[in-house]
Amino acid sequence: MTHIVVDPITRIEGHLRIEAEVDGGKVTDAWSSATMFRGIEIILKGRDPRDAWVFTQRICGVCTTVHAIASIRAVENAVGANPPPNARLLRNLIMSAQAVQDHVVHFYHLHALDWVDVVSALSADPTKTASLAQSISDWPLSSATYFTGVRDRLKTFVNRGQLGPFANAYWGHPAYKLPPEANLMAVAHYLEALDFQRKFIRIHAILGGKNPHLQSFLVGGMATPVDPDSQASLNIGTIAALRELIAKGRDFVTRVYIPDVIAVGGFYKDWTHYGAGVGNFLAYGEYPEGDDSEPRLFLPRGVIHARNITRIEPMIPEKITEQVKHSWYNYDGGDDKGLHPFKGETNPAYTGPTPPYDRLNTDEKYSWLKSPRYDGQPMEVGPLARMLVAYGSGQQRVKELVGKVLTALGAGPEALFSTLGRLAARAIETQVLIEKMDDWVTALAESMARRDYRIQDNSKWDPASWPKECYGAGFHEAPRGALGHWVHIQDGAIVNYQCVVPSTWNAGPRDSAGQRGPYESALVGTPIAKPDQPLEILRTVHSFDPCMACGVH
Amino acid sequence: MAREQSWLLDELKRRGISRREFLGFCAKMAAILALPSSAAGAIAKAVATGDKPILVWLEFQDCCGNTESFLRATRPTVAEIILDTFSVNYHETLMAAAGHQAEAALNQTVAGHPGQYIAVIEGSIPTGKNGAYCTIGGKSALQIAREVCGAAAATVAVGTCAAFGGIPAARPNPTGAVAVGDAVPDVKNLINLSACPMNAENITALLVYYLTVKQWPPLDQYRRPLFAYGKFIHDNCERRAHFDAGQYVEMWGDPAHRQGHCLYKMGCKGPATSQNCPVVRWNEATNWPIGCGHPCVGCAEPNFWDTMTPFYRRLPNVPGFGVGSNLDRIGIGAAAVVAAASLAHGIGEIVRHRVGTKPSDSDRPSGDKK
Amino acid sequence: MSATPKIVSPTEAVVAVYVWELPVRLTHWLIVLSIAVLSVTGFYIGDPLIAVSGPARDHFVMGTMRVIHLYAAIVFALALFVRIYWLFVGNQYARWDQYLPVSRERLRNTWEALNFFSYWRRDPLPYPGQTGTAGLAYGVVFLIQFVMVLTGLALYTVYAAPNSLFQAFVFLIPLFRGLQMVHLIHHIGMWLLLVFMILHVYLSVLFSVTERNEIDSMFSGYKEREVTVVRETRDA
Ligand code: HEM
Ligand code: HEM
Ligand code: NFV
Ligand code: SF4
Ligand code: SF4
Ligand code: F3S
Ligand SMILES: [Mg+2]
Repeated sequence: MTHIVVDPITRIEGHLRIEAEVDGGKVTDAWSSATMFRGIEIILKGRDPRDAWVFTQRICGVCTTVHAIASIRAVENAVGANPPPNARLLRNLIMSAQAVQDHVVHFYHLHALDWVDVVSALSADPTKTASLAQSISDWPLSSATYFTGVRDRLKTFVNRGQLGPFANAYWGHPAYKLPPEANLMAVAHYLEALDFQRKFIRIHAILGGKNPHLQSFLVGGMATPVDPDSQASLNIGTIAALRELIAKGRDFVTRVYIPDVIAVGGFYKDWTHYGAGVGNFLAYGEYPEGDDSEPRLFLPRGVIHARNITRIEPMIPEKITEQVKHSWYNYDGGDDKGLHPFKGETNPAYTGPTPPYDRLNTDEKYSWLKSPRYDGQPMEVGPLARMLVAYGSGQQRVKELVGKVLTALGAGPEALFSTLGRLAARAIETQVLIEKMDDWVTALAESMARRDYRIQDNSKWDPASWPKECYGAGFHEAPRGALGHWVHIQDGAIVNYQCVVPSTWNAGPRDSAGQRGPYESALVGTPIAKPDQPLEILRTVHSFDPCMACGVH
Repeated sequence: MAREQSWLLDELKRRGISRREFLGFCAKMAAILALPSSAAGAIAKAVATGDKPILVWLEFQDCCGNTESFLRATRPTVAEIILDTFSVNYHETLMAAAGHQAEAALNQTVAGHPGQYIAVIEGSIPTGKNGAYCTIGGKSALQIAREVCGAAAATVAVGTCAAFGGIPAARPNPTGAVAVGDAVPDVKNLINLSACPMNAENITALLVYYLTVKQWPPLDQYRRPLFAYGKFIHDNCERRAHFDAGQYVEMWGDPAHRQGHCLYKMGCKGPATSQNCPVVRWNEATNWPIGCGHPCVGCAEPNFWDTMTPFYRRLPNVPGFGVGSNLDRIGIGAAAVVAAASLAHGIGEIVRHRVGTKPSDSDRPSGDKK
Repeated sequence: MSATPKIVSPTEAVVAVYVWELPVRLTHWLIVLSIAVLSVTGFYIGDPLIAVSGPARDHFVMGTMRVIHLYAAIVFALALFVRIYWLFVGNQYARWDQYLPVSRERLRNTWEALNFFSYWRRDPLPYPGQTGTAGLAYGVVFLIQFVMVLTGLALYTVYAAPNSLFQAFVFLIPLFRGLQMVHLIHHIGMWLLLVFMILHVYLSVLFSVTERNEIDSMFSGYKEREVTVVRETRDA
């Protein structure tokens, strides 16, 4: 039996360490530990709740909008503010643009190199690469000349002798299965996706001033005025710019991203058997389609237990707790019980080894992540959870696309409960959202035509209009999954603030009952060809799209 | 030399970029950096020749926002930086290697090229609990920073966290977070590119500056390059005419807001913040915070999480008066109390003169008059 | 003091003492005037309450307020510096030691003045200069005024040209923990001075009533006082 440590896990956001036991070419047990803590929940105490979103936004610069949205919803819920329809549309556009961009970056820049051997691309035949590319998509950048250019650029790069970020990787590892031509095509798309993400995210700059860390949110609405007759507001020119960017995004997602996922997946079908995880799924639902207090959600809310997608249970917020049995925190009332976020505590209490260290004591506390539980159960959150809940709830477009992708891969629905399933679900979601974005732009344009200037519920802006003491919860579906913020306000100041974050759900350590978190569960059973080069661990962990700055905050 | 020269020209040709266009890019870069036009030739030469300078990028108590911002770079793009201009030997978010092999890439660079590489640091560095608030490969951020920055030719602190402590160091600073400059006392050529996150335009301008003039630019009192932080937001703001006129947004979505009036009364911190946001803007010059209708929050300034908050008020809270305290209201209150007290005291004086006895009859202690 | 007047009724002996020299009077009223202007314009700068509509080019309200503030600030700062200079070269009533209760005599004077204000002591102190308490209060006010100049100069670096000599004051900004704190302190200073002024005017009126010509003295320089030596002579 070998004990292996992978620290740092790279190509993720933040500081994640995986320790694993490997026996007989398989992972037999695993521990997930996040190794960075800032204390943003503590820093928020005593501050103006209207400022909170700016702080929580800095929990993560990758999913840069999500903590802002969750925070604003929590405070709005507490003080009773009702954002007007324009604000809802703008938020929907911002959230969906975040998801699309984040998913594309994840696949190409954070995950692809687990499946794509860059060195093998050097020996690809550009003509064959071109015919492969043309066989899967009508994307115009697919000529032999084009791929020759990419291959030569790569060659020039390698010949200069400085491999930079591509040095020291697991190139040539036996688990790489793509033929050189597919590798070359993927490298080309890696570079194209770098340009894509930069251009597409201009949607955020238009609606939020800048990305990362957009600056247009407000408790009660948005700070971007809407007025078709003003050059200092979102106007018809904005509509045209959004339409263009969304159209280009749709082009890339439909003609590059989706075909690539199917093509890569086709070579790694065995990965539908690994990385299943806990089998429970949680989705808060997202993209309100109306302005009442319980609006219809474009992607539905729900809970799945034990992979039973035929039964979508209602999500009951009171069942959410966080435990710290194996986390470097203390609870005033003892560490064996979970606390609901309204009663949540963040009391850092490091008990791990003094750095520098080689091993964590995984019998005791071993991570800065807490262990969120729903009804005492570990839950997986993320695109897979959302697509399963949507599928089980009969969301039409999701059902169609899941069917299409599964057919293309020649697999049944059970294939979704896997490492590869997460990749597929993420790609499907991207497609669903990029198609939907146009509707919200159209609704915004119609609102402009009606001269509906409302962007903000000003009646609840002044803290004097708030109850003396109030509580609020804000839910959101971030790219990586279900996100909730809980706030307790008294005399216009924050008394307590708790964030329960997608990567906390997925990457959290064991709970007091000894149940593993989703990463830990998913890793068990993963094959390991070379314990000193645990490429397969990266595959399964990356399939969740880890974000430790989010998870710990 | 010749090899590299032809490499670049080949490469340009392959990408359909003519020599003329390339020189045009260099001229544009010179203009951004406010260099004389003769510098364009030097830029062209610098970009085209020599071994690629080495860059290592470390993340500590960060949110990755500066990395994401870096991914939005256009002049040059991140692909050009990674493939052509620099050798990015370590960057956890982008690099292919992981675990021990990633650590080895860093160690080889530090040991093999002492005094020759540029260290870019993102995030603050915790000093509490022996550094256990941030470890990588079991080593504390503090130890890594000292080793890597201590042997670097220069250290670029990207983002307000690395430059000034940023959000982890905000009150009450639970982890004892400090800026790179404070964590590594003997750091050489420290350059702070503050803002939350730093603007991609500013790091690319800095790197091209270095490649071109082989020097680091002049800095302000917080070690920020003057070319990016030499002026206040307020001085270049497109809403300045409304500030001077006295036309302010009073409420979100009001006609003044829709017409782009000044956000001063909504708490804009542009008057206390220096950065080139209004000029270079963000994301391919698409927009910037004030451009979208929200006040500047002062994200490039030291301590902005404590001194620029509450964000929607012009001034910080009055010490001792809690959240949302309004200085003018406190001042008017204090003035009223003093005025009332004076009045009461005056009435007391009148009463005592009416009912009292003559001074000379007084047997009370009375100093000089005894 | 050598001359011993033969006076039957001591209360009739009134002498005009030259207390406030011209520079003291001049700077006092210049400071009063400039603070009035600085406070009105400063209040507007801090919270611009006047609403103007129409194109921006037709108005310059904030601009005007700021210009007036800065001109008044020049008057204020120069007057203050003359007065500070006079702390070291002026007469006994204008000297720096009047503003610090350091000597035993000043301490006793302070105590007596406090007794007076608390109605415990009956008569105002006959000392022609400021009492120990007033002196201490003025000392604090000098300090606040000095801080106003420092913070004002620190704020001015934002507007001064990059190569202006005024940039020499940027070093002040980190000392106050950033520009926002400078704004806050500068703004608090205004309120402290206004509160002081209310109290100060009240006391000036009070002493004008209980004693003589207190307010006039800041114009004429003279205060009329009973000659205390008379009683000492009689007592002796
Ligand atoms: C007793 C004297 C003074 C008073 C009562 C006063 C009052 C004020 C007030 C209330 C503000 C607004 C502060 C804020 O809320 O941000 C202000 C701003 C300012 N004051 Fe003064 N001030 C005084 C003296 C000075 C002096 C001596 C200077 C020296 C140059 C000065 C320069 C400034 C500047 C530059 C500003 C900033 C204006 C801006 O932010 O646009 N002030 N003053
Ligand atoms: C904020 C505005 C004011 C300030 C900062 C101020 C400051 C001072 C100071 C420092 C002194 C002591 C003389 C010296 O050492 O220069 C003084 C004395 C005096 N001030 Fe003012 N003053 C102000 C407003 C006024 C006003 C409005 C009046 C008129 C009613 C006034 C009447 C006097 C008088 C009568 C004295 C002499 C008091 C004594 O005998 O101790 N002052 N003032
Ligand atoms: N986990 C996580 Fe996030 C996301 N998506 C947030 O809530 O990445 Ni930074
Ligand atoms: S400065 Fe801002 S963007 Fe950069 S790491 Fe810190 S919080 Fe993130
Ligand atoms: S919006 Fe802000 S930066 Fe622009 S002029 Fe107004 S106060 Fe200055
Ligand atoms: S908030 Fe930051 S990004 Fe620019 S406009 Fe203000 S400095
Ligand atoms: Mg939390």
